[in-house]
Amino acid sequence: MKKLLLTALIAALFTLPSTADAAQGWGLINEEIVRFDAKVVDVLCELTGNCPDNCGGGKRQLGLIDASGKLIPVFKNAVAFAGGAAELIDFCGKTVTADGLFTTNRETTIFALQFIREAPDGKWRKANRFLNRWAETNGVAVNSNMAKSWFRNDPRVKALIAAQGKIGLGPGVLPVE
Amino acid sequence: MKSIVGTIFGAMLTLALGAGTAAVERVTVTGEVIDTWCYLSEIMFPLGTAHHQCAIWCAAGGIPVGLLDEDERVYIILSIENDSDNVANPTMLEIQSHQVTVEGEVFERDGITYLTIDKLVNDEGVVNRTADAYGIQPFGE
Repeated sequence: MKKLLLTALIAALFTLPSTADAAQGWGLINEEIVRFDAKVVDVLCELTGNCPDNCGGGKRQLGLIDASGKLIPVFKNAVAFAGGAAELIDFCGKTVTADGLFTTNRETTIFALQFIREAPDGKWRKANRFLNRWAETNGVAVNSNMAKSWFRNDPRVKALIAAQGKIGLGPGVLPVE
Repeated sequence: MKSIVGTIFGAMLTLALGAGTAAVERVTVTGEVIDTWCYLSEIMFPLGTAHHQCAIWCAAGGIPVGLLDEDERVYIILSIENDSDNVANPTMLEIQSHQVTVEGEVFERDGITYLTIDKLVNDEGVVNRTADAYGIQPFGE
């Protein structure tokens, strides 16, 4: 029961609808709700000059360069346990309005994207494209329980956990109570 | 004379690099492969065996994988052994929570440290046994 409640709470954190298309607080450390315009870039390309077409087609970490020239990598999207590349890839090289949260901890500021639109007046979309793509790839409905718990149902994850065990010490090895 | 040459060189370097360009340094680093979001946001206990399963979930979901060194410096890994696909990279998933030593280049920009790994020198596997104290994060199973 406790596990079900916790699962529902975490799922709700990332899936609650917002009528305002504006970021909501997640109760993070030194959290700041922000909205800013920025250009979508391939982080590795930006740092090294190694630049494939189309920002790597979704296989590379993407970031945002704001008006001051600051590079802001996108660590998180609005889906549980998922990052930002799937949300940004459609906007490679374009200027977007990003809506989300900065959290600052351990002298590092990181960004979680909740909503995005092409600047200046594109249509807002929630940063949950990852789930659409996962559902499509795995042949299930995006609103199915399979997709909602994608992290438990992903074939690659399941194979890795089966091989390494949940705590990484071998199949079936669990913590000592 | 030496200081003038140094000043001129410094100015030329600044112009060549431009604003926002990353500084580069060649390094050998030893540390734990981590899920950067859970570690930096501290939304749960983020290290070792307790967080191993979640770290795989997050890496598979495309959250940047990092390396936490002995001085608690976090490196965002952008490539590994010449593979520059850094979203849900299979090798990065395989070595989540492992203690590793790597060689590569570090890039510093805007308060974030990035790492491109040329060579995985040593992989000790999972050595940070935190699960007995913290259980399995975040759901307990």
